[in-house]
Amino acid sequence: MTQIDASNRKRSSGRLMILGFLSPSLAILLFMVAYPIFSLVYYSFFNFSALRPAAGMKPVGLGNYEFLLGDPELWERFVFTGEFVALCVSAQMLIGIFIGYQLQKNFRGRDLLFTALMLPMMMSPVVVGFLWRYMFNSEWGVINYLLTVIGLGKVDWLGQTTAALFAAAAADTWMWTPFIVLLATAAFRGIPETIYEAAEVDGASPAYTFFRITLPMSAPVLFIALILRLIDSFKQYDLFFALTGGGPGSSTETVSFAVAKTAFSYFYTGEASALAVVLLVIIIGLSMILVRHLNKMGERY
Amino acid sequence: MLKKTLSSAVTSAIAICAALGVSSAARADTTLTFVWHAGTCADALMDIAKDYPDKTVKIVPALVPYGPEWHNKIASEFAIKGDAFDFAMWDSQSTAEFAGGGHAVKINEIFDKSSYLKADIFPPASLSRYGEYPDGSGEYYGLPANQDAYGLMYRKDLFEDPKEKDAFKAKYGYDLAVPQTYQQARDIAEFFTRPDQDLYGWGQMGGREYDFATTASNSFLWSFGGELYNPQTFEVKGYLDSPASVDGVQAYVDMFKFGPPGSGNWGFDEVNAAFQQGQLAMAMQWFYFNGSNADPKVSKFADKTAFGVLPGAVGRDKKFRRQFSVGGQGMGINKYSKKLPELTKFMEWYFQPEQQARYAKVCQTGLKAVLESAEWQGLNSYNRQFSTALAYLNDYWHLPEYPVLLDQLQEEVSNAVSGTKTVQQALSDAAEKHERTLQRAGYDIKRGDSTPEVPDQKISPVGVDEVVVVN
Repeated sequence: MTQIDASNRKRSSGRLMILGFLSPSLAILLFMVAYPIFSLVYYSFFNFSALRPAAGMKPVGLGNYEFLLGDPELWERFVFTGEFVALCVSAQMLIGIFIGYQLQKNFRGRDLLFTALMLPMMMSPVVVGFLWRYMFNSEWGVINYLLTVIGLGKVDWLGQTTAALFAAAAADTWMWTPFIVLLATAAFRGIPETIYEAAEVDGASPAYTFFRITLPMSAPVLFIALILRLIDSFKQYDLFFALTGGGPGSSTETVSFAVAKTAFSYFYTGEASALAVVLLVIIIGLSMILVRHLNKMGERY
Repeated sequence: MLKKTLSSAVTSAIAICAALGVSSAARADTTLTFVWHAGTCADALMDIAKDYPDKTVKIVPALVPYGPEWHNKIASEFAIKGDAFDFAMWDSQSTAEFAGGGHAVKINEIFDKSSYLKADIFPPASLSRYGEYPDGSGEYYGLPANQDAYGLMYRKDLFEDPKEKDAFKAKYGYDLAVPQTYQQARDIAEFFTRPDQDLYGWGQMGGREYDFATTASNSFLWSFGGELYNPQTFEVKGYLDSPASVDGVQAYVDMFKFGPPGSGNWGFDEVNAAFQQGQLAMAMQWFYFNGSNADPKVSKFADKTAFGVLPGAVGRDKKFRRQFSVGGQGMGINKYSKKLPELTKFMEWYFQPEQQARYAKVCQTGLKAVLESAEWQGLNSYNRQFSTALAYLNDYWHLPEYPVLLDQLQEEVSNAVSGTKTVQQALSDAAEKHERTLQRAGYDIKRGDSTPEVPDQKISPVGVDEVVVVN
């Protein structure tokens, strides 16, 4: 009897100790993550403005969601965001994997080149936006200058919807391709040399080696890079803020741009909360699908 | 040895405490922080503030670029009832939003207590424009710290060239001169548009950001007899998209044909840059920038640049109107600031004629004593035109919903500029969105039986039979 009591005490004190160690982290996590999310959801059921507190908070149930989901312009923003994400993430993955593959080889000056390639990623998106805004200036921007040098006409990059989409994707690709290069190079260099030697002995062509050995073996890392870029591109706001201001019209407004504008320019706090919840649900859904896929991929390789 | 160590440790501790005491005494000095957009006028304020006699008070700028982040910085601080800044220069239209939200100090209380700061040291129209809310109430939430107006700048070397004059008269049948109407401005812009010489007739803002496109398009809209809405009934449909409003915005959109390609998304920086490089014969620009555009260190064409008042237009009712956007900012006080006594003393000093005369050398003061002085108009090459321009100012909606209405109008005017929509379609869509915004905010829109073709005839009419020559 005494022995059982002693063992129970031991187990219980162990649990308490685990809880004791975890509780600071849990408290911080609850305060920093759970509380904002719950308050966001709570606020989304009210019509109110943080700038006009005297007007009070009017409960509207699902009114904010009904208004937003019935607004055709919101769907246009989702479509634009989807186009932007598809365009820039595909470009970043393709270019990033290509450069990463080249950089895994040993050659003179590789480290210097590698460091130089990382520079765009270290800049703030707002700075990148302003920088590219000047470069895309239709009259005195360097892009149009280069086009005229090779005999092509000037393009009104930021004044037309389709051109503005490509301009934004180019700026984002310039900034974030180094991120893919970084991860791809690390993944490629992590593949044991013996596998390549065996492939060479078996007479495998470079293309065969790349598509049947390099890519599959680095797939989990590349997939993580893809997930991070998809989520990050979906949230893109600051680049558009500086580059196009959302224009022409509202044709280059991403969903995040609309959230920021509704929250901090309009100060429609309830409506902005509802929009942020919609965005959060989409990002969580997207992440869950991709993470599930990643897990399957991990089991396979 | 131990004693020695102990004694030196105590000495060090005393020295550190003394040093901390000194630094905490230094920190006890008052800092008055202000938010404004960075630029010539904020620099001028800082320069003047350096000479503030009370050296225990330091004026600290918290500057942001012109645009939405400037508004958002002030609004965000108000939303958390914070005191990160003590006073701010905000747009005249924002007074309704900030005062209506209960975040700005009512200046009438300062007028009552101060021996110097009184309403009558400012022109009544200026005080009302930059600080009154609601309109006509006599309640003020801002002082006219930095007046501004949309203006015209042009290349006088081109306008005074005898060959150009002869060629213009031969083509258009009247003398080349600073345009009095947008119809004349169009002819002159067309005349000087010579892409092969990298010269264009007209530069104007059309960008989607903040108020870039609409401050320009509104100037056309009002001059052609249009209106943004009916402030009595809150009707927008039939006013913003009235035939006269469409005429005005169409004239604005058409002027991009005489600007450099791609100028449809320009902001003020691009207009300045193009003008300073000699690419434009005329440009629509704020008086605010004239200081730099007249400075030979900034513009290679400074000595060839002249300033004027923007044209008006002869509307479809054959009446002449000259109306353009008011710019500039009022100085408002953060209600949550704990330094109101120190700030009031600083404002009493800053709004003295001596300080305001210094300010008026580069920017536009709102102090009556300076504006009425004999020297003011001669302080630079554009104050005379500015004093004329003050008579033709008009403004956006003075409603707390201003940021939403502005963004919606910006979006639709930008659609018209880019050609995504016709002007009629863009203005009708903007009117639809505006009414929806007003209805959601609780305004009761009282629909009339009919809407006027030229809304200005119904709302505080300014149309006259003859063209008024001012330049």
